[in-house]
Amino acid sequence: MSDEEHHFESSDSGASKTYPQQAGNIRKGGHIVIKGRPCKVVEVSTSKTGKHGHAKCHFVAIDIFNGKKLEDIVPSSHNCDVPHVNRVDYQLIDITEDGFVSLLTDSGGTKDDLKLPNDDALTTQMRSGFEEGKDVVVSVMSAMGEEQICAVKEVGGGK
Amino acid sequence: MLGFSNGSGGGGVGAEDLAQFQATMRAIELACSYIQINSNPVAAEATILSLHQSPQPYKACRYILEHSQVANARFQAAAAIREAAIREWSFLATDDKGGLINFCLGYVMQHANSSEGYVLSKVSSVAAQLMKRGWLEFTPAEKEVFFYQINQAILGSRGLDVQFIGVNFLESLVSEFSPSTSSAMGLPREFHENCRKSLEQNFLKTFYQWAQDAALSVTNKIIESHSSVPEVKVCNATLRLMHQILNWEFRYSKGGTRASINVFSDGIRADNAFSRKTECVIVQPGASWCDVLLSSSHVGWLINIYSSVRQKFDLEGYWLDCPVAVSARKLIVQLCSLAGKIFPSDNGQMQEQHLLLLLSGVLPWIDPPDVISKEIEEGRSGSEMIDGCRALLSIGTVTTPVVFDKLLRSLRPFGTLTLLSMLMGEVVKVLMANSTDEETWSYEARDILLDTWTTLLASMDGSGGNARLPPEGMHAAASLFSLIVESELKVASASATTEDDADCLASVSAMDERLGSYALIARAAVDATIPFLAKLFSDHVARLHQGRGTVDPTETLEEVYSLLLIIGHVLADEGEGETALVPDALQSHFVDVVEANNHPVVVLSSSIIKFAEQCLDAEMRSSIFSPRLMEAVIWFLARWSFTYLMLVEDCNLGSNQLQSLRSRACLFTFFNEHNQGKFVLDIIVRISLTSLMSYPGEKDLQDSWRNLANAFANDKTLFLLNSVSQRSLAQTLVLSAYGMRSSDASNQYVKDLMAHMTSSLVDLSNNSDLKNLAQQPAIIMLVSCVLERLRGAASATEPRTQRAIYEMGLSVMNPVLRLLEVYKHESAVIYLLLKFVVDWVDGQLSYLEAHETAVVINFCMSLLQIYSSHNIGKISLSLSSTLLNEAKTEKYKDLRALLQLLSHLCSKDMVDFSSDSIETQSTNISQVVYFGLHIITPLITLELLKYPKLCFDYFSLISHMLEVYPETLAQLNNDAFSHVVTTVDFGLHQQDVDIVTMCLRALKALASYHYKEKNTGNSGLGSHAAGHTDPNGVFHEGILSRFLRTLLHFLLFEDYSTDLVSTAADALFPLILCEPNLYQGLGNELIEKQANPNFKTRLANALQVLTTSNQLSSSLDRLNYPRFRKNLNNFLVEVRGFLKTR
Repeated sequence: MSDEEHHFESSDSGASKTYPQQAGNIRKGGHIVIKGRPCKVVEVSTSKTGKHGHAKCHFVAIDIFNGKKLEDIVPSSHNCDVPHVNRVDYQLIDITEDGFVSLLTDSGGTKDDLKLPNDDALTTQMRSGFEEGKDVVVSVMSAMGEEQICAVKEVGGGK
Repeated sequence: MLGFSNGSGGGGVGAEDLAQFQATMRAIELACSYIQINSNPVAAEATILSLHQSPQPYKACRYILEHSQVANARFQAAAAIREAAIREWSFLATDDKGGLINFCLGYVMQHANSSEGYVLSKVSSVAAQLMKRGWLEFTPAEKEVFFYQINQAILGSRGLDVQFIGVNFLESLVSEFSPSTSSAMGLPREFHENCRKSLEQNFLKTFYQWAQDAALSVTNKIIESHSSVPEVKVCNATLRLMHQILNWEFRYSKGGTRASINVFSDGIRADNAFSRKTECVIVQPGASWCDVLLSSSHVGWLINIYSSVRQKFDLEGYWLDCPVAVSARKLIVQLCSLAGKIFPSDNGQMQEQHLLLLLSGVLPWIDPPDVISKEIEEGRSGSEMIDGCRALLSIGTVTTPVVFDKLLRSLRPFGTLTLLSMLMGEVVKVLMANSTDEETWSYEARDILLDTWTTLLASMDGSGGNARLPPEGMHAAASLFSLIVESELKVASASATTEDDADCLASVSAMDERLGSYALIARAAVDATIPFLAKLFSDHVARLHQGRGTVDPTETLEEVYSLLLIIGHVLADEGEGETALVPDALQSHFVDVVEANNHPVVVLSSSIIKFAEQCLDAEMRSSIFSPRLMEAVIWFLARWSFTYLMLVEDCNLGSNQLQSLRSRACLFTFFNEHNQGKFVLDIIVRISLTSLMSYPGEKDLQDSWRNLANAFANDKTLFLLNSVSQRSLAQTLVLSAYGMRSSDASNQYVKDLMAHMTSSLVDLSNNSDLKNLAQQPAIIMLVSCVLERLRGAASATEPRTQRAIYEMGLSVMNPVLRLLEVYKHESAVIYLLLKFVVDWVDGQLSYLEAHETAVVINFCMSLLQIYSSHNIGKISLSLSSTLLNEAKTEKYKDLRALLQLLSHLCSKDMVDFSSDSIETQSTNISQVVYFGLHIITPLITLELLKYPKLCFDYFSLISHMLEVYPETLAQLNNDAFSHVVTTVDFGLHQQDVDIVTMCLRALKALASYHYKEKNTGNSGLGSHAAGHTDPNGVFHEGILSRFLRTLLHFLLFEDYSTDLVSTAADALFPLILCEPNLYQGLGNELIEKQANPNFKTRLANALQVLTTSNQLSSSLDRLNYPRFRKNLNNFLVEVRGFLKTR
């Protein structure tokens, strides 16, 4: 899946996918790029080479799209790549039979290139809310050219 | 009868019973052996447990004890007797109670020579526990009978084994009566307290005398024989018993109050503050013990037996560690810390004699130090030497330095302090020689000796500089200090290249404490140590410069690092929230110094500041000032400037010693505003700036800087204005406004300071493209920084600057709400936002006028609404459990912040400085907070309540709300009401005592509110309390009934801490009053369930007594609550035993 995604990179709008930040300033809960993947940092520890040396940061992070664990060690004064992570809310219009969803964008168009997520609770909520005719809002998280539905919320309506 | 009352006769056992006993015995034996080979342990445990829990298992147990060949089975039988008897004690016949104890005692005496010691000690501890259980019921004559047996045994008339057993029994008895080691019996604390009092006043001294007699009876045998004899075992037991008795926390023999001896009249100290720090317990048995411990030559005997046996076995190294030697030394050390009323008021002469006697006995263990330490290094056991150090510590705890020093003079040409210094010197040398990491005797000895110095010197340190060591002692301290510094530096340079950050952190506090003790030693001889440190420091700096660029400086850097820490401790105390004063020793010495430039303290401080100043030079910084060294420099400057910089001299000079005024004055004024102060301050500020900008990513360093910034807070400096963003910086800056002359100026200053930050937020939120703009990292960074600063400023609210900070918050209210909307996915920003609001509301609320309060409250409400609209009913993707936990933690932090916000809002009703009168109060806080609870309770799931801090915050808010505003609860809608009630029910079943207490208080508030309202003819909780029938025709009972049921069940059948009983009583009482019919019903149900008619009547009586005795009436006034508490306590003691039996 990720290979396929990389093809899209070149055709992107040209805006930078990441920005630099000093390793010492990246906190637990922040984002970081490790081995080309956007991750969320779940653990930071610092160590030193010898007592009077400079500090290094050790990151343990989780890939925000596939949940894999990655690690990295960076001198604290060096820069790391931090991914732009965006989350946009869309209203759900349709769920197709092959598992794709149709979303309403702000400008009134539709967005039809996203699949249902692999999470049962989330899918169930989306389907049931949709079938009951409620207004279902989904949050789509995007970073480094990948997109995924990451949350769902019913805002009301229904019969 | 149970077959125990007639002494040892067991003849009345019928054949049927016999068969049954044998069956039980076999089952238990089998279970025990299964457990041992670990086959089906669950079933085996169940078998044993069933014996423990069966009603009246005494005969069976007795049978097992007397007949079983399996030791474990006998052990379990003894345990079963204990369990059952404690449980059923209140309805055993008096004869049986005594019978059980007699049986146990008789059993141990009969089997005294058995090889299974653990069975015997179990049985004798059972006897001790039962004896305590019945202690307050037995008549003196009955006790007399028991103790006659024991006394006979201890006197040795029935042989050595029985003698040992007797002593052993007393040991269990004493430990059972001592509160810290007693076992639980399900009885109130009062019972234990009464037992302890009775034993202390009537028996303890007698026991000690018996132990002495027993020990005396075997002494000669031990001394005369040339190999180990069985008498040694008895002797060891008696020594242990004596040690244990002296360990007793004496309370009642000190003539009423906890009076201690006069510090000034007899040269003997009694400040417990320092004995608490060391492990040394002061023994204060009171005047009545004088004959036993002092005038009976007890000490002489003890020393004599130890030294003569020691001499005899001198060649056999193992002897030092054998139990009897260890116990004897322990007792000797303990006698060293004897103090209090036991010594007559004769100017401490008696105590000095006593200590001298002990010291002469201890001396061979530690003197001469070099020989002893050499012997230990060659393989001799170090335990005796360490005990010697402990004895010195004990003596140091009960004497002043002068008395301490004088003690040795009659035995040696030098004082005790010199010996202490020599001894510690040897230990430090050994430590230096083998710098391995393993814990050796020298570590332990060093810590104990250091404690001794601390206890001795700490008393002087606080005495206003009046007390001084004798000259020889000062000399000893000075030479010891230089040895210590040498060893610390050696350790530092050796560890410079190792990378053990982890264990460094763990030992930081231990290190800090050690440095504190070193500082005390240094201050005891400042004339020598301050110039010594100054020279050492300049030597090291010179060495750094010499080797610059050519030699690897790491080792020297580490040495300078340690040196800075040591000097920092010597020159200044830790502030800890108070104004730190210049240490007395430094103030009162150096009398002849008139020129500030020559004052040793000034010289030392200046040289360090000058060194620190060099870090401003970029080249020097890269070659010398490593991040770690910078840490120490900043730490030193923070600590130092807190004590010395910009002193306000008049408040420090008011004390009574005029003799050293001039040297003090020059020390004080040197670093103040009109002298070098401004100059030094400027240097320090520039160093701070440099450290912030040139050492990015070094977190430790920035932390130290923050401390420095705080030290500045009280100075009137504006130097820092154009600096980097940090919460604490903003806080510091806002706090610094406090120093300004007028409140207008302070407000203006804060306004100027924060204006560009608030305006940047306002501009941002008004931007039409906010939605896209906000997602840019630079903007997120900016917003986070500004929020951090605002939060810092908000937390620095002081009355003087309150206005400006209020306006600051007011101007960003709308931006905050807009940002909350925009950043709903950016949890880090949301958290900052919430925290800012929490801190701001906390700082402001109590000052606000009514209309301002309304504004703030409306703002908080919108905030809560927006937050909850984003989060209710939201389901997130769970890619991995780690990410899910992260998300939960974020949620938890947010909710906790919101709960804090609500709690702060609550406080407006308690603390209010506004000028409005109460009548004009336009907003009803309780309604607002309830409304808030409405909004956030759906977000608080039972899952989230498993976070302890959140749980605590939530329940403290709930119990506070219910106690203060019960009436608003009644007005809540059904959903919210039942949510609150569900959580309270959930809280009642928590493990945490605090949480349960809060829930019980909430219940009390609910029930008493309802009862009082009902009595005045109102509806109280109305339909919530009355219960209702739902559309399906099912009746739901009211909440009070439900809680009455739950609480009764909790009290009768569940395990809980006895501390909860009184709070539970306070909740139960109003509940019963509210629902008398249900209570009757439940009581009858309980009675019906009991199969045993005896229990039935007991339970019925107990229930009757619970609600009627002690003139309990049915009104909720101040008098009735304690009465009911007492009743409930008695009730539980009476019935819980058999109700819990199944």
